[in-house]
Amino acid sequence: MITLNVNGARREVQASDDAPLLYVLRNDLQLIGPQFGCGLAQCGACAVLVDGKEARSCVTTVSEVAGKDITTLEGLPARWAKQKGLPAEEARYTLHPVQQAWIEEQTPQCGFCQNGMMIKATELLESNPNPTVAQIKDAFTNSGPSPNLCRCGTYLAIIDAVRHAAELMAKGR
Amino acid sequence: MATVREKTMNVYGATLSRRQFVKAGGALVVGISLVGPEVLKRGAQTAVLKNTLDPTLISSWIEIHPDNTVLIRTGKNDFGQGTTFTAYKQIVAEELRMPFEAITTVVAGDTDRTPDGSGAFDFLGHGSPNIRKAAAYTYQALLDVASERLAVAKDKLTAKDGVLSGGSKSISYGELVKDQQLKLTIPVKGDLTSIFGLTIDGNPPMKPVSEYTVIGKSFRNSITSTKVAAKETWATDVRLPGMLHARVVHPKTLGSTLVSTGTLDKKKFPNAQVIVKGNLVGVVAPTEWEAIRAAEQVASGTKWTDWKGLPSSAKLHDYLRNQADWTSAGVTKSDASKGEVDAALAAAHKKLSATYQLSYMKHAPIGPTMALADVNADGTVHIYTHNQNPQALRGEIATMLGISSDHVIVHAYPGPGHYGRSNGGNAGAEDEAVILSKAIGKPVRVQWMRADDMQWSTQSAAAFSDARLAVDEKGKLVVYQMDHYMPAMQDDRPIGAVIAELPTMPAPELETKSVTSIVNNISDPWIYAEVPNVLERGHGTFQVGQKASPIAVGLRDHSMRTPVQFQQNFPRELAITEAASLAGVDALQFRIDNSSEERLIGVLKAVRDASAWGSRPSPQPDAVSVGSAAVRGRGVSAMYRSGTYWACVCQIAVTPSTGAIKVEKYTIAVDPGIIVNPAQLKRQVEGGAVMGISHALLEEATFDESGITVDDWNSYPILTMADIPEIKVVLINNPKVGKYGGGSEAANALAAPAIAAALHDATGKVVRRLPMKPAYVQAALKA
Repeated sequence: MITLNVNGARREVQASDDAPLLYVLRNDLQLIGPQFGCGLAQCGACAVLVDGKEARSCVTTVSEVAGKDITTLEGLPARWAKQKGLPAEEARYTLHPVQQAWIEEQTPQCGFCQNGMMIKATELLESNPNPTVAQIKDAFTNSGPSPNLCRCGTYLAIIDAVRHAAELMAKGR
Repeated sequence: MATVREKTMNVYGATLSRRQFVKAGGALVVGISLVGPEVLKRGAQTAVLKNTLDPTLISSWIEIHPDNTVLIRTGKNDFGQGTTFTAYKQIVAEELRMPFEAITTVVAGDTDRTPDGSGAFDFLGHGSPNIRKAAAYTYQALLDVASERLAVAKDKLTAKDGVLSGGSKSISYGELVKDQQLKLTIPVKGDLTSIFGLTIDGNPPMKPVSEYTVIGKSFRNSITSTKVAAKETWATDVRLPGMLHARVVHPKTLGSTLVSTGTLDKKKFPNAQVIVKGNLVGVVAPTEWEAIRAAEQVASGTKWTDWKGLPSSAKLHDYLRNQADWTSAGVTKSDASKGEVDAALAAAHKKLSATYQLSYMKHAPIGPTMALADVNADGTVHIYTHNQNPQALRGEIATMLGISSDHVIVHAYPGPGHYGRSNGGNAGAEDEAVILSKAIGKPVRVQWMRADDMQWSTQSAAAFSDARLAVDEKGKLVVYQMDHYMPAMQDDRPIGAVIAELPTMPAPELETKSVTSIVNNISDPWIYAEVPNVLERGHGTFQVGQKASPIAVGLRDHSMRTPVQFQQNFPRELAITEAASLAGVDALQFRIDNSSEERLIGVLKAVRDASAWGSRPSPQPDAVSVGSAAVRGRGVSAMYRSGTYWACVCQIAVTPSTGAIKVEKYTIAVDPGIIVNPAQLKRQVEGGAVMGISHALLEEATFDESGITVDDWNSYPILTMADIPEIKVVLINNPKVGKYGGGSEAANALAAPAIAAALHDATGKVVRRLPMKPAYVQAALKA
């Protein structure tokens, strides 16, 4: 048994120590935000936040993250609610500003990579609330284990959404 | 007992029969009936003999509910374009004279819940997709029924927001269909499980474009909200009770046969099992990690024959030029061919001849292909996957198993876009999942790993073209001759079935269905009508290595975003740029001067203005092909596809000493006729632009004598966010065209010829091969 802290809850899972977090999240905990893209930490589709930092769950073993705070796409609304001191129930019917911005900017095409893009955006905006376009490009290309890749070519829509999310977060929405 | 009155009437070639149920004994039939099973449960022991909706019944396409909401069904499964959730809803709302919000449900892709099939391409159907005609027929039927009900002549009725009014009377659609079973039978043609599916026939009156109120507005894509909130069920999320995870151990080369299967270490992997069928080796286990580890262990002990039957990518173009069989397929000629090319060339003032080369490229979906299959004891097959043509997949699985397609049901879900790879029915894992599920009697989920997806999927075909052009003393193009050479562009055989030696459709040959033939047709419509002498020919051949492969695999090709036209537009547009330079005139004005098409001239002028293009010949005055300082240049390209005119300008900076190209500014203008949804079109075009720059600069599926050598994102890099230029999209709404042209596909093709033209403008050298990777550009600039 391994105990994981996922999206603010303690979860007990039966998995071998070397099992990548991604398969445990998707198959055992039914947390389907992270997607399998490469299994090699080369694309970002599987990204989650571990203690606030973007991590690639396809190469992160469950034993490495036991006891750490894991946030998946599903946990972004509650993360925002907690940071803003909003009632916990609000997280059930509102989205994280990053998710809201992704909708308002109509960012995804197929959307398969966008889990990682929203995780990366959240990591960036938590440390830099008003990034420039150059800082956004740098974060999505150079700050992680690999660039966050989008095959549909939505990078411009992602930049628009990150800037919009920054506005929404500044308003405290 | 209910008394039933039945009446029929003719609605523009469709037949409306109407049963009015008179309420008696509490029986009341409400609305239009739904056909086909809605919910399927695993283990249902009854054979599903009729799992297709009757396409001749309008109720299979559109349901109007008593509360005045509408459900629509389409066989076209969304692949990220969002068209079924935006444009389709807008088109139906428009034809029905209802608000966008009234279209509450879109059912797409599932073979048992949609009527028409066909692939996730050409969504707007050259301006008249099936769903538009279905809506137009429905509207006419509603008018007929209302006319009778209200006793008002049909031409005296007006419709607004789902309510028909005439004289002093009015009735909503919902009220009209309540208590009635409307059976509108419409004419349909085509083959459901073929790549093009079924088409609604006839000519019901369409709403005049001048009266549009819903089309032209930027409604949001409803599926975006569920996807970003992690509330959408993707194909990757579907699970069935008792399901096993699987990985497939693919052969060592594209021509290897199985010698012996590695022994599974049961101590390490107590719950895993190995399944072998022909040359297909599958490993299944209850947990995904055990399946992955066990498959790795089995793979390490599995022995294969060696095979070296490919020319290798370094020798590809030599092989294509000198060894490939270009005679079996014959030669095609475009309809635009005219005049006397040879005589005009002999008399020409200035001429050029050149060869252009393109590499194999991967569709490279961001998630590798996967499928979950459940072969029931009664022989019924359920497949849960992300597929561009579920009806075609259904036919292919039926062929593989030797059963009727009535026994195969494909359930369509969102997934990673793969840009044409499954438009002929399969992307890779579907058939393998079926084979393994049938063998073990349980649902099996096959997930390809990244290397499987790079090395065992199809690719966009390599190609080369030979050009001869001439300009006259006045600087006008007088001769354009292009011979396009390309191996068969589409192999729709499911790869697992091929490896397992099970029945499939034939590999591409001369006499196969049009898209899987070895014949190479001209797919890039000629747009320079003023040129007097034109000759465009297509030369086809077999897929490289396929005939030599003992397992009939080799380098399998498949249409990829803007297929064939991509391979033909790059040589044409770069050659046109070269001809402009030869004539010493501006390349953009040269295109305008050789065209008589107002819409083409419109997009060229739009892109000229938006990019601040100043008129001058190329190369630019300070062009230089040496040195470590960046040199700048600009280039233009144009295209017509699926009812839409495109023009693009790229500004680049190239460093001659390294060969590195940076696209700094990218401007694109698009005239699709009627723009259905401007905001969605803009996003689609931006995405295509980025993919096109990626194709032009980075993408090449290299191979050695045995197989594909790219296996991950390091060996097959794509454009990153840091690489994107400043992008400007100019949308030209042109309602007088009267049709909706395609917008989401073609944008990827414009960048390559514009970047190559810009490289010529910057350096004075012409690089005629894709991709323009630094090492190749560096060498070409030195030459």
